[in-house]
Amino acid sequence: MRILVVEDEPNLRAQLKTRLNDSGYVVDVAEDGEEGLYFGREYEYDAAIIDLGLPKLDGMALIAQLRAGERDFPVLVLTARGNWQDKVEGLEAGADDYLTKPFQPEELLARLNALLRRAAGYASPVLEQGDLKLDTARKEVRVADALIELTAYEYKVLEYLMLNPSRVVSKTELTDHLYEQDFDRDSNVIEVFVGRLRKKLDPVNPIRTVRGQGYRFSLESPA
Amino acid sequence: MKAGIQTRLLILTTVVLGTFLTLAGVVLDRSFKASVLTNAEEQLRIVIYSLMGAVEDDGTSLRFDGALPEPRLSQPESGLYATVTARHGLTAWQSPSALTSSVHFPESSDSLAAGDFVFFSFDEQAARFILSYAVIWGDTEDAVLTFTVATDQQPFQAEIQGFRRNLYVGLGAVTVFFVLAQWLAVRVGLRPLRTMAAEVRALEEGQRESLSEDYPKELQGLAENLDRFVAHEHRSRSRYRRAMEDLAHSLKTPLAVIRNALAEGADQQQELLGEQLDRMESTVTHQLSRAAVSGPVVVGRAVNVFTLVDRLVRALEKAYGDRGLELINELPPDLTVRADERDVMEMLGNLLENACKYTHSKIEVRALSTTPVIIEVADDGPGIDPELRQEVLNRGTRADVLQPGQGIGLAMVQDLLAAYKGHLEITESSLGGASMRLVLG
Repeated sequence: MRILVVEDEPNLRAQLKTRLNDSGYVVDVAEDGEEGLYFGREYEYDAAIIDLGLPKLDGMALIAQLRAGERDFPVLVLTARGNWQDKVEGLEAGADDYLTKPFQPEELLARLNALLRRAAGYASPVLEQGDLKLDTARKEVRVADALIELTAYEYKVLEYLMLNPSRVVSKTELTDHLYEQDFDRDSNVIEVFVGRLRKKLDPVNPIRTVRGQGYRFSLESPA
Repeated sequence: MKAGIQTRLLILTTVVLGTFLTLAGVVLDRSFKASVLTNAEEQLRIVIYSLMGAVEDDGTSLRFDGALPEPRLSQPESGLYATVTARHGLTAWQSPSALTSSVHFPESSDSLAAGDFVFFSFDEQAARFILSYAVIWGDTEDAVLTFTVATDQQPFQAEIQGFRRNLYVGLGAVTVFFVLAQWLAVRVGLRPLRTMAAEVRALEEGQRESLSEDYPKELQGLAENLDRFVAHEHRSRSRYRRAMEDLAHSLKTPLAVIRNALAEGADQQQELLGEQLDRMESTVTHQLSRAAVSGPVVVGRAVNVFTLVDRLVRALEKAYGDRGLELINELPPDLTVRADERDVMEMLGNLLENACKYTHSKIEVRALSTTPVIIEVADDGPGIDPELRQEVLNRGTRADVLQPGQGIGLAMVQDLLAAYKGHLEITESSLGGASMRLVLG
């Protein structure tokens, strides 16, 4: 999951990045509204965390411009002012949720998690597809209630595919959303992860290979 | 409220004008009466002189040859009577007009010295003016004749009455005219003040931003000052708010930094520091929110609560999208309150968010009354136990014991309500959960 963080306070920005990285997210940071807008327009993100009080271009305007540019990833707004006028205006500008500073890091992660799920159409934190259950809060995967041991990257691949169901996800997209930029794009590491995942998830096999294009999450039998 | 300027001016003018015209009336009335009396006396004096000129004295008696100098003296009951008396009250002659009437002449006064006129302006019995004149008639000092002439007062009284009537009618007309003129002058003169009052009202209701500029020079200064005051009020309000927001930002961001740093470390004092941070956070949050309360607006437009709740509902539906809550705005579309928009949004936002947290599936916002405005936020959650309701309200008012997530929102609502002289009530809602009621003033 690739997250854009736009926050002008350097310490908080660094903390957010560390915190999100630790939770398995890939994070890009921007220190002002204009930089945030550039990133938001240039790259594909799964969600953005945007502070409302930003230099150069304030958070509200940034969200409005991202939305106007048809960027529809979920946006979590951070506000220090915490008054309802700001929250409502932020949500009206196109944000999807708000968090008032100071906040508990756990709450930020929970809200972000919920936004990602909602964007994929899941109401519960546990993503269910047939016998396959993926608990986004505990980062656990179960097949027919049996816990499957996955590495962090294997989990991330499965989660990303489950959050983008019935859509072909290219290897490049997977790489962009799951790994930091300096990752070697040419390596076949994705294929290795997918292969290991298929083995661990057996007997369910939800990951289909679409030749020349990438992978698609589907529990239906291959045509 | 004191009587209006117009009423005061009218009362004052009427009193002053009334007093002045009454005094003028009295003076004029007296002068005219005095002149009528002088005139009567003069007429009688002329009659006496002409009698004296026409009288014949043959040594034993007095007589008038030919016609009397004043024809009315010969006609009975003519209203003009004469008598001549000698010493010791002996009547020497009486005019024919007096013979048949009961003219009552005063006793011939021996004390009347020769050459003296005495005027009786008032004769009770017959209402006549009487003039007596004593004259030495002959060679001896004893031979004194007293000529007395009397005339009816009635014509003179009638003249006075007529004058009075005219006087009073005239003065009355003058009074009415002046009062009307004054009323008109006051109305026209005070029109700019009335205009100003209307404009200030419009200003209060937010229908205009400033006063118009074509006031007379006496009011121009006041109008300009008022405009400056209003502009200043707007400016200082927003400046104050900005200052508070900046303060909030500069305090809260470092707190967020500390919190995150703390979460990363494995210090044994982590718990203690965490607690202190919690306290600091809730205090800062609460006190800053308190300070940001605008309170009732003196100048500003009424806030449409329906529209405001609509925005909140849409925002909360988005923020709580995964709960699939049903938020229903049942307020009348024209429900307005005279308050700062942010304050109202803050109150309803906090109540609605609380309801979103605790409700099961449904929240309704209704107006229970419009004067005073009572807005109910009802949910179908577990509700609040009757024994706990007072405690919840109290907890909301005591910032020092606040814990994170423990009713900062409610405390905020209560602070705001206090500024508007309103209060919060907690009961059971018809949906089965809690009913939070905002009673505004």
